[in-house]
Amino acid sequence: MSAPSRLRLLLRDLSAGAAFGAMAVSGQLPAWTLALFGLAWVCALLGWRPFASRTVTAVLLLGAAGVLGFFAARGFLDPVVASCSFAGLLAAHRMLSIPDVRTDGQVLLTSLLMVAGGAALSGDMLFAVFLVAFCVCASMAMALAVVEATVPEGEPLPVRAVVRPLSVGLSFAVLAAAAFFLLFPRLSWNMAPRRTSPGLGATTGLSETVRLGGTGTLKSNPRVVLRAHLTPDPRAEQLGAYWLAHTYDTFDGQEWTSIGTSRRRRTQVTLRPGGERSVHQRIELLPAYGAQTLVALETPTRMGNAVAHGEGGSRRTSLVLLGGGEVRFTENALAYSYEATSLPPDEDASTQLTEPEQGQLLALPDRLDPRVAELAAQVLGGEKEPLAAARKLSAWLQSEYEYTLELGGEVDDPLADFLFVRKAGHCEHFATALTIMLRTQGISTRLASGFFGGERSNEDYILRAGDAHAWTHVLVPGRGFVTLDATPPANRSSQSMAALQLLTGLYEALESSWRSSVIEFSLRDQLAVAERLVRPPRDPGRSSARLPPARIWGVALLAGLLTYALWRVLSRRLSEPRPHSATRLVDTVERLLREAGVRPREGEALEELTARLVREQHSLAEPLAPLTRRYLEARFGQRPLAPGEADRLLTPLRSYLEARRAAASSARPRHTSS
Amino acid sequence: MRAWLQAFWARLRVLLRPPRTLKVTRTGRTYLVVTFGVGLGALNTGNNLLYLVLGLLLSMVVVSGVLSERCLRHLRIRRLGIESAFAGEPFAFRWALTRRQGHAFALTVAEADAPLTGEGRVGFLREGVEHVVRADLTAPSRGPLRLSGVRVTTTWPLGLFAKTRVFELEGTLLVYPRRGYACQLPGDSRQGHFGDASTPRRNDGTGDVAGLRELGPTEDARRVHWRKSAAMGKLLKVEREREERRTYVLTVDGGLSGDALERRCEEVAAISHELLETGNEVGLETLGEQLRPAGGPTQERRILRALAWVGFEALREKQKEQEEAA
Repeated sequence: MSAPSRLRLLLRDLSAGAAFGAMAVSGQLPAWTLALFGLAWVCALLGWRPFASRTVTAVLLLGAAGVLGFFAARGFLDPVVASCSFAGLLAAHRMLSIPDVRTDGQVLLTSLLMVAGGAALSGDMLFAVFLVAFCVCASMAMALAVVEATVPEGEPLPVRAVVRPLSVGLSFAVLAAAAFFLLFPRLSWNMAPRRTSPGLGATTGLSETVRLGGTGTLKSNPRVVLRAHLTPDPRAEQLGAYWLAHTYDTFDGQEWTSIGTSRRRRTQVTLRPGGERSVHQRIELLPAYGAQTLVALETPTRMGNAVAHGEGGSRRTSLVLLGGGEVRFTENALAYSYEATSLPPDEDASTQLTEPEQGQLLALPDRLDPRVAELAAQVLGGEKEPLAAARKLSAWLQSEYEYTLELGGEVDDPLADFLFVRKAGHCEHFATALTIMLRTQGISTRLASGFFGGERSNEDYILRAGDAHAWTHVLVPGRGFVTLDATPPANRSSQSMAALQLLTGLYEALESSWRSSVIEFSLRDQLAVAERLVRPPRDPGRSSARLPPARIWGVALLAGLLTYALWRVLSRRLSEPRPHSATRLVDTVERLLREAGVRPREGEALEELTARLVREQHSLAEPLAPLTRRYLEARFGQRPLAPGEADRLLTPLRSYLEARRAAASSARPRHTSS
Repeated sequence: MRAWLQAFWARLRVLLRPPRTLKVTRTGRTYLVVTFGVGLGALNTGNNLLYLVLGLLLSMVVVSGVLSERCLRHLRIRRLGIESAFAGEPFAFRWALTRRQGHAFALTVAEADAPLTGEGRVGFLREGVEHVVRADLTAPSRGPLRLSGVRVTTTWPLGLFAKTRVFELEGTLLVYPRRGYACQLPGDSRQGHFGDASTPRRNDGTGDVAGLRELGPTEDARRVHWRKSAAMGKLLKVEREREERRTYVLTVDGGLSGDALERRCEEVAAISHELLETGNEVGLETLGEQLRPAGGPTQERRILRALAWVGFEALREKQKEQEEAA
């Protein structure tokens, strides 16, 4: 196989890889299809194509299609996801087959289908990267195939010459696609809408329960999940605040849940009375959040004005209040924005609790290890005042236990394992230990989950997935719930690297632009763009009926005419054929000879003049002969003049002519004086 | 009347021909179907990414049109001569292509509005460099073939569409009769002094011995070398210089037309080829032309050319008048 063919096949396979990547970023493809395609892709890139027998391999492909069909029919797999997976497997099969024109076409066609599938499955910004990569590689592969089909065998393929016009064309295509995207009216029949997916974005996954165990990889995830604008602005670089999402009052030894029933939907939820010093928050939950629970600064009083942002644009959504003070959106979407107000932590008002809810704040697991209560009593030493006891126990936990994200996995009694065996754990272990140990001493407590931190970003504060946290609410008579955190202070916020956080911040900014300008672009935005084009924003101090004075029109016309004239002159000058460097050299030589009084005969070319001078053994032949020889080489011998070579060649001739001129001028005075 | 109608129709076709023609290739058809599907999906779901993909697919169609148009502009083409074209068999045909501005890619060159099959291909045409394209064309029948223009097609850049431009270029291709075997024997040869024959004893078999070969059918048994034939067990004939160099004058009757005329022309071409190959001199008499007997490849070329014009005498006269007028 020739080198150009290898390049074409490489581009073809790269385009197939990019198309599959456009689907894979949705995170919805089955893992085994990812593995199979990846294996096939690597083999194809290495040039190993073992699928010579179409029949046998087609049976394998049919089997894979059957498995996907079965999963789709039984409801285990979305039909669109199954179709996309099959397109990926088909492309993999074709990539491993013996390459020919038909196979190439099939690979590119399935790749195109995969790109379309990726558009249907994913809203991630990485899709755009893969889309551009696919366009570039597929266009190059197709163009090389077209040229290769017409170039006779054995002749070189003009790869470089192909790249230039094609890259210009591709740039034009991208611009045209952007124009189409901007201007084509957004119409939607909505006959078979699909649920949108946040792709690789969903990271936090706040759920209705908190289960102890597992590892704490979330803590090192730097993706931004929440952006909030606070009024009044605290003006602090690190906010260090608790952002509440959910509270839990029931622990069964393994996981936390909460009692309480959901209430009816409404556009605004009031949790408790507010106050004059309430902090207003304009919060945006990004796709990386991946849950429907609202988050607000502790202690939230009111939440509302929620807007869900999805593929079809933005729309208002209602909220529902669940048990444990959790407020949820009723619609599933990629991202949300809403408003919330919270009281400062030191001004917590008493929360309205029902009788069962109050009782649940003292409930203990049925099979609680008796050593827990003994340990709590031992540490507290008879302290009965709730806040003092909680602070004492919290300080003891922070000093005696280590924070770690590496745990052994599932155990029967995670609390006892933390307190008496491993003596190390993450925030959920610390918070659970404090909550349960206080309950053993008759102090009402509950577990709270959400985020801790708040990093300044321009005028807003952002929270990362790694800021997810759990802490304890202690019910203090007369003050209500007071926040107590048993986790060591250094380990409460995100544990990711600073450089990674910076990169992630850049990515999040780009993704935010992508989401607002592409994913959520709607008919309303199009109308706004059209309105801005037709009727630009008015200057309030100036009437639109007032046109510029006539002199402005005249100046504009003159400027236009001048620009046009300049353009004509420049374009004419630039399009003029430039004289060959050798021609310039011979022009200079002829000028020098003319100045020196050496005149060639009628129709005598430079080479003929030089030949004549050599025959006549003229002294001018010596500097002129090498110059003439080099001119002929440069003009007709395909050996162009190097930069500065013309000057070097002319130097001996100039010296000779100057010497001759000097001799002539010195001879003239003598002649006149005599 | 029929010829006039045909000429009128050909002229009308040239007049009504669009400056460019576009044909969707097989890959292009698939591409358009997928584009249509993506468009339907975008309209159905309102998915912005599908709109983005649709925009890209449509803009690639536009880009394909623009780049292929640029490929067909600033192109200059001329026909180069051919050695000989026989009906029904491929012959080498050449065009010279030059591009004044920019490069061109993936060009296919063919004769427009002519019953010639075959095309030449150019993968890459550099700016300002004349490129000679060779093609194996096949003409279906004998006679002068009017060439009105050269059709240049490109599938650049993506192979989705084949865009064609026809360059007006008048010319005539003379197609010789189809080559074949002579089924009939030549008529009697002319004896004695004739034409430019240099010797009066032309069939005496007295030239220098050139060799022995097997006696063929209809050949004179008097030239058999009996001793060698007895030794070899087959009839061998003595070959001499100027051996049996006879003079033939072949004729194409004026009353023939259609298939009969074609067959006769092919037959005469085959016989003359055979006779000239064996060193004889051949002349030709047709309705509009008489060729004196002569030998050699030049005479064969004259005979073929004369045979190609048989039946097209009026056209030949017209062309001669035009040439004289020019």
